[in-house]
Amino acid sequence: MNDNRATNRALLRHVLLPTLFLTAALLGGVRVEASSRAILFVAPPLVALVLALMLLSLFACARLVEFGRWLSAGNGAVENVSHALTLLALFFASAQAFNSVLPEAGLPRWMFSAFFLWTLWQNQFSSFDVRRLLRSLAALFGTAFVVKHMLLASLYAPGGGWLNRLAGAALEGVTLGTLEGPAYANSTGYISFFTLALYACGLFLLPASPAAETLEDDGRAAELARALRLLPARERLRIVEELGEETAKEGRD
Amino acid sequence: MRHKLIQWVGIALTLAYAALVVWLYAAAPQSIAEVRTQASVAAGTYEVDRARFDAGRELFLREQYAAARAEWERADPARRDARTQFYVAYSFYRQGWGRVYSDDALFRQGLEAADRALALSADAPLSVEDTELKIHSAAELRAELEHGLERTADDFNPLKVFRERK
Repeated sequence: MNDNRATNRALLRHVLLPTLFLTAALLGGVRVEASSRAILFVAPPLVALVLALMLLSLFACARLVEFGRWLSAGNGAVENVSHALTLLALFFASAQAFNSVLPEAGLPRWMFSAFFLWTLWQNQFSSFDVRRLLRSLAALFGTAFVVKHMLLASLYAPGGGWLNRLAGAALEGVTLGTLEGPAYANSTGYISFFTLALYACGLFLLPASPAAETLEDDGRAAELARALRLLPARERLRIVEELGEETAKEGRD
Repeated sequence: MRHKLIQWVGIALTLAYAALVVWLYAAAPQSIAEVRTQASVAAGTYEVDRARFDAGRELFLREQYAAARAEWERADPARRDARTQFYVAYSFYRQGWGRVYSDDALFRQGLEAADRALALSADAPLSVEDTELKIHSAAELRAELEHGLERTADDFNPLKVFRERK
């Protein structure tokens, strides 16, 4: 049973996660042109790489990914190489996830880049837990997705989408030049949605550290003790008492 | 032992998949058909569609140059065949040639195609044996196209109208 669990976890870390992240990295830059239906591969812009780096730094702060454990002298050389590839795939998947939701050109692109940079920079200095970080990320990507693939896509639509007509009526005589961008087919939005879903799935499956999964991990007890020390004395005592009772019960059984 | 195997398989799969992703972004194929073409070029199994090439040549001989080029584009979608590119360059030359003046835009496109043909036959000089053509080497065709693009005093020579199209 334990052997199966260990094998499945190894498959997840060494095969499934890199595959998920690389698929997200592949699809994040795919666009379908509205007129010719040609597939375009848009490499991640520099700002997406910077954003991805900041996001990984946030993952480290929130202990969603413990880089020190993923790449540790305690691991075997092959294991470290495999982990490095997984983390590299995570980095490129993050960059492509940003690439997928950042507007293509003009003022919206600058605004969204600045908005993302500011949000990620602010978060570097706030205390985070994993759940809050994931919620905040979902909101961040969700908003950008709606703006790019629903609002701006309608504005750029060749036939003039509903927002284009609305903006035309509201801003009659005023140029929309700063909001212009390339027109993509609706399938681009579906591809982007799939990319974000894969990326979220990968993050959900990603363990904080490979060691945390190993049943015979001596460090876990020490780590738990370190975390317990942060609690007030009364709560610490309560936990010890409850655990003592449970251990005694297990002994009787 | 099994874990080591999983690690090695993971590394191999990740590297292969990453290489595919990088290749797709570098080659930037625009359709699934183009993915197939680019993949066959990368694998070294790419071949020109002979039937389409011959159909293009038929059109070329009937002076249907644009249609001929469209056929050759389908015959050699990756533009990897020196002989086809030579014919493409030749069609631009014949279409752009004029007794009084040549069409610079067509000659420029012909020059690009001739350059492609020369680049694809870097190992040996490209020579096309076709009795219907008057120029047989890519280098000569390139020189002819380049000469047509030059502005010289010879352009004002009235006797120029008697020259022959090659």
